[in-house]
Amino acid sequence: MRRIIKNRAIYLMILPGFLYFLIFKYIPMSGLIIAFQDYQAYLGVTGSPWVGLKHFERLFTEPMFFTILGNTLLLFFLNLAFYFPVPIILALMLNEVRREVFKRFIQTLVYIPHFMSWVIIVSISFVMLSMDRGIINELLVMAGFEKINFLMSSEWFRPMYVLQIIWREAGWGTIIYLAAMAAIDPGLYEASRIDGASRFRQMWHITLPSIRSVIVVLLILKIGDVLELGFEHIYLLLNSMNRDVAEIFDTYVYTAGLKQGQFSFSTAVGFFKSLIGLILVMLANWLAKKAGEEGIY
Amino acid sequence: MKKKKASTILAIVTALSVLAGCGGNSAPAATGSSNGSSAQGENKNEPVSISIMANLHTPEVPSDMIEKLLEEKTGTKLDIQWVPDGTYDEKVNASFATGTLPQVTYLKNAASLVNMRDAIRNGQFWEIGPLLDQYPNLSKLKPEVLKNTAVDGKIYALYREVPLSRQGIIYRKDWADKLGLSAPTNVDEFYNMLKQFKEKDPDGNGKDDTIPLTDRNDLIYGAFKTISSWLGTPNNWGEKDGKLAPEFMFSEYMETMKFFKKLHQEGLINQDFPVTSKTDQQNLFITGKSGVYIGAMGDVSSLHPKVVEVNPDAELDVQNKIEGGPNGFGIWSVPGYGSVILFPKTAIKSEEELKDVLAFMDQLMSTELGNLIYWGVEGQHHKLEEGKVIPSEDTKLTDREVKPYQAMQVGGPLTIEGFYEAKHMLPVKAKSEEMIMENNEYLIEDPSASLDSKTFNEKGVQLQEMIKDGTYRFMLGDIDEAGFQAVVDNWLKSGGQQIIDEFNVSYESSK
Repeated sequence: MRRIIKNRAIYLMILPGFLYFLIFKYIPMSGLIIAFQDYQAYLGVTGSPWVGLKHFERLFTEPMFFTILGNTLLLFFLNLAFYFPVPIILALMLNEVRREVFKRFIQTLVYIPHFMSWVIIVSISFVMLSMDRGIINELLVMAGFEKINFLMSSEWFRPMYVLQIIWREAGWGTIIYLAAMAAIDPGLYEASRIDGASRFRQMWHITLPSIRSVIVVLLILKIGDVLELGFEHIYLLLNSMNRDVAEIFDTYVYTAGLKQGQFSFSTAVGFFKSLIGLILVMLANWLAKKAGEEGIY
Repeated sequence: MKKKKASTILAIVTALSVLAGCGGNSAPAATGSSNGSSAQGENKNEPVSISIMANLHTPEVPSDMIEKLLEEKTGTKLDIQWVPDGTYDEKVNASFATGTLPQVTYLKNAASLVNMRDAIRNGQFWEIGPLLDQYPNLSKLKPEVLKNTAVDGKIYALYREVPLSRQGIIYRKDWADKLGLSAPTNVDEFYNMLKQFKEKDPDGNGKDDTIPLTDRNDLIYGAFKTISSWLGTPNNWGEKDGKLAPEFMFSEYMETMKFFKKLHQEGLINQDFPVTSKTDQQNLFITGKSGVYIGAMGDVSSLHPKVVEVNPDAELDVQNKIEGGPNGFGIWSVPGYGSVILFPKTAIKSEEELKDVLAFMDQLMSTELGNLIYWGVEGQHHKLEEGKVIPSEDTKLTDREVKPYQAMQVGGPLTIEGFYEAKHMLPVKAKSEEMIMENNEYLIEDPSASLDSKTFNEKGVQLQEMIKDGTYRFMLGDIDEAGFQAVVDNWLKSGGQQIIDEFNVSYESSK
């Protein structure tokens, strides 16, 4: 207790963060109760009847259930496989740029898209990819190919989704890697140069191993985001023609829950989705520790 | 993200209301007027305060000029919450779940009312049917329409009147004249018009770059449902061998899908129509890329100035009565109301308070205020000529100050005494109004409007998505007839059969 009083300034600084998590993360969790009720707004949580696992049963027997589960996981793995390495590669490349001014310029240029909302990015791609007068399709025709229905086909949804994410986020993702690279002891490079290592060798044997723990931590955090595939992004791209590959838990919760007022059911869906996320994070953390890394806890 | 935020807020509020030990009765708006209601009658000193949630169709929240006038004339203190049209239903659902609906809640449309039926049945809203007689203006609302809004035969809602069927086509008359085409009167002529618009270079720029028909991602208010009723499809539900069945189980629905598939394959419709927004759809028409627009014929008045701005020689015309089915011309209709108005018990605590609110709604239907919220202030937003209104040409001004308030209308031209008629300076607008009246003689009504099904209330929206997806996939050639039948079978299996049975039970008992 005395220690708390002595260090009160530090504890005071923790307070806002503590309150933030309490109010916005932990108290709302109690709302999960309604997943086990037939929640009716006017009866409140105290008055609504308990129904046990009814809503979960409904979810597991929905004809769409396996499609949604599959889509959510697949999009997540695609995201991991194709998007995750891009900022690392980009950062390695930027790190090799000698001229400071040029490097800054490139860096700014690639992270600007991060500040555009998905609505804007999706609208721009709609204009470009449209069948009617979209520039990409016009170019395809000029080059002698058939028009491609990018916006309304199941095959093109996934590439489009991943490419848009890369375009928007890759530059922003480099920031943390560049910071990690800046912290590498220059002596290591000097020593290797004396030993006759090429630039590529240096990159492979010094830069990459030095940022390995950063990569692992980010990877685990990223896995925690299996829940956050970007509701807005997918909802904007989703349409009748690509629903079989594009419907994920987030968009499903939105249509079943808010649009139709089925609060208990959508809470159950969200709950289930969070459980998958939790399992994946624990798995990744366990794997990281097996591989001799620190993990996140 | 958006969903997550909303659910977080939802969860917080539920959690807090549990902590506070109240079952969601935290309507802040109610406190003000419960004081006012003790001093009832004409000579109260304190103004009654009334909270309202209304649907905003313009990009901006309106100026409070008309609100101030309303407050002055009705002796009330208004608190109007404007919610953008795009998120209106979600906002109503979220407010309802957290017990924060205002005293006067406008619902978006007939489908939103269906979603609220369970809550209404559970006594969350005041029943107003027996009270309506006490109000001189409210008692003029049409019993037939009120019946369509009823739940278990009891009336809970006031309604905003809309024309029964505004559907028709708007087309480029200058193009048709150039190609020697007259207005289409049946589906074949309509198809022929599209074909000529595609092939005969109607805009005369020497390039094959026209998209005859422009449509959008909406099977109801876009072209699909209108063309489907030309071909004789019932409106949502129809009778088949004495029983009700959904429209997509009728062969006419299949015919409509085939017609669209043909249009799509032959390039007579914009290729991206399943993902085209209303703005983009209208832009194709405005910029002269496209020559035919199907939708509300009244839109011609807003389209005309924009089309002429791009091409001064352009001329627009409207047309209805396109015959296609065996029974001659028919056109789908709405059940007589656009939005409905509900009075939540969480916000209105006592019958006295309800009467205050209804008295205010009654005044909104008076000649003076009815015209004020629809047409604005004379001399400022419109002129009167021979008792008819000429709206101001400054549409930016009326959009900002008047148009949003039109959403608050109760009743309509048929029920408000002395409601001004418009004197249209644009002949084609006048013609569209005539055709909207003419449609009234050929209506295909929705027999399920006042029927009820528990499963429909629970899963109807989701199930309808299945049919919507199937319809688009068929039209784009993704699935064939057997494929669509599989979609319908899946619909039946996932709860559709229950919906059919429940509607039929409800139908039998309503006969």
